[in-house]
Amino acid sequence: MSPEIEQFLSGMKKTIEEVVMPNLTDKFAQEQAGIVAASLGFLGLIQDKAFHYELLENQEYKGILQAVIELLDNTFSAPTSVKETSAKVSEQFAADKVDDPVHLRPYKFIRGSNEVMKELLCVFIQQQPEMPAELRNSFEALMKPFFKSIELRERSWVKALGFDPEAEQQADIADLLYKDGYLNISKS
Amino acid sequence: MSHYTPTLANRAQPSAQWIEKMRASYPVESAVDEVFTRKLHSRLKPVEHTMDFSKLQQPLLEFLQGETGQADIVVANLKRLPGGASKEQFTFDLTWQPEPGKRETRRLMIRMDPTESIVETHRLRESQVLRAMWGEVPVPEVLWIDPLGEQLGHPALIASFLEGTVQPEQPENSEKMSGVGMYFKPELRDGLSQQFVDILAKIHAIDWRKKDLSTFDIPQSNSTQANEWAIGLWERAWNEDTLSAHPIMERAVLWLKENMPVVGEPVIVHGDYRTGNFMYTDDLEINAIFDWELAYYGDYHDDLSWATLGLFGGSDEEGKPLSSSLMYQEDFLARYERASGNKVDMKKLSYYHIFSYYKIAVIAAATSVRVAYSRRTHLDAMMNFASGLGSVATSELNRLLDKATA
Repeated sequence: MSPEIEQFLSGMKKTIEEVVMPNLTDKFAQEQAGIVAASLGFLGLIQDKAFHYELLENQEYKGILQAVIELLDNTFSAPTSVKETSAKVSEQFAADKVDDPVHLRPYKFIRGSNEVMKELLCVFIQQQPEMPAELRNSFEALMKPFFKSIELRERSWVKALGFDPEAEQQADIADLLYKDGYLNISKS
Repeated sequence: MSHYTPTLANRAQPSAQWIEKMRASYPVESAVDEVFTRKLHSRLKPVEHTMDFSKLQQPLLEFLQGETGQADIVVANLKRLPGGASKEQFTFDLTWQPEPGKRETRRLMIRMDPTESIVETHRLRESQVLRAMWGEVPVPEVLWIDPLGEQLGHPALIASFLEGTVQPEQPENSEKMSGVGMYFKPELRDGLSQQFVDILAKIHAIDWRKKDLSTFDIPQSNSTQANEWAIGLWERAWNEDTLSAHPIMERAVLWLKENMPVVGEPVIVHGDYRTGNFMYTDDLEINAIFDWELAYYGDYHDDLSWATLGLFGGSDEEGKPLSSSLMYQEDFLARYERASGNKVDMKKLSYYHIFSYYKIAVIAAATSVRVAYSRRTHLDAMMNFASGLGSVATSELNRLLDKATA
């Protein structure tokens, strides 16, 4: 593959910044061209990490949903609606098996599977008021570190967009995704 | 782009049944239901938003001829205004007779819905609240309105154009979006901050029962109804617009619903009271408060929370955070209590800080991305870019929820 995507993006950014923008007289057009150039810069930084971002999420969501199912399997008090959601998770795990060599799958397969798992986890969260107190407490305890991992990952992903007043305190997305040169899936 | 799940397919191409499900699922004011339902029906039409506004000139002329009853008016210098994330804004010069025997040229502005906006709001409602504020606090004068866009193509209001500064000169390489993290020099802060708070206190003191605000539903006093409607609006927007489910957003909305404070006597809440939504003159007088489209009857703590939100405010020269880039939070709240006579309840303020981050996440992580996905706005590139603000908001939301549930 040549040139690499990064090179295409970098060339477009330079052209917009150094050729197009200085010759624009309309303020609205200047403003929008500036955003296009900044977007290209952002894409240049993250484009080679998008696949691994989704792959990491795939492992994380499989991990948390497995943990929720295990929690529900060990309780007699799960309401029917929650059990129905569990059954849907099992269906999803038939389509994208927990031990599937998913890293060999196309990006869209992984992205689609992740979206299904996100929706199912959101249903469990919505169903908390239906859970008995003890089950709900256990569920919340399980979820808290998972919420934290989403918080850190998403904030690192958008760090270069310039909205974060605490950007300097956020990890670079590469440092968060990889450990010892490999995708950091051991924590999930 | 792919619709990975049936839910995502419904959001992109809503069926009549799904639209009715959305309407039944979230308690909202009738005007909000009207614009949200219209948005979903319109989503089925394969229309991209056009940037060409040259065709606006003739309908604008005909609309104004009808509104003024004058055939010999002139519309000239129609231009797009930069900025304005949620609505398209244009200026033009109108030559007409405001009263018999007096012919004048006046510069006016148009505030118009794009094909789909980052916040779907009601132009008649916005014009009503602007008219209610006219003479009470500094606002542009609303002259005419096309609430459904039957004549101008999109819903729009036409108001007086005011001169002034919204964004003062910023330090190099600190370009931010729509008032986020803006910097005001100490002399500007000294001149503007107290006015900014006093105007907010005045808005909250206005007796809305004496105003024509027929598009506003009135919530019961001493109840949670105002908050039920407000949460209903934002939860419905999230569920109609997002391109991806988000566990933190589900956590947040559940917590917001389970911890809703009672609203004693509802006031007019501006809904977007912060830096970037006011203008000042060279004499440092605030001469306009903008962006009233999210106004509703609710708890004054909602505006206080929005105006003191860390994400919007910049810092002073030592890096200490400033509410709305103007004042330290403790000074802001103390001044507000003195000016309004309202007591600030810090527990309620914390609740509305969580609600505020939820709203920002809905706008920036869901609706902005949706309208760019459908190519239905005048700012598609910016709307994708703004998703970064949404991720910071969900992150802050999670931090605050961890604190609230510790």
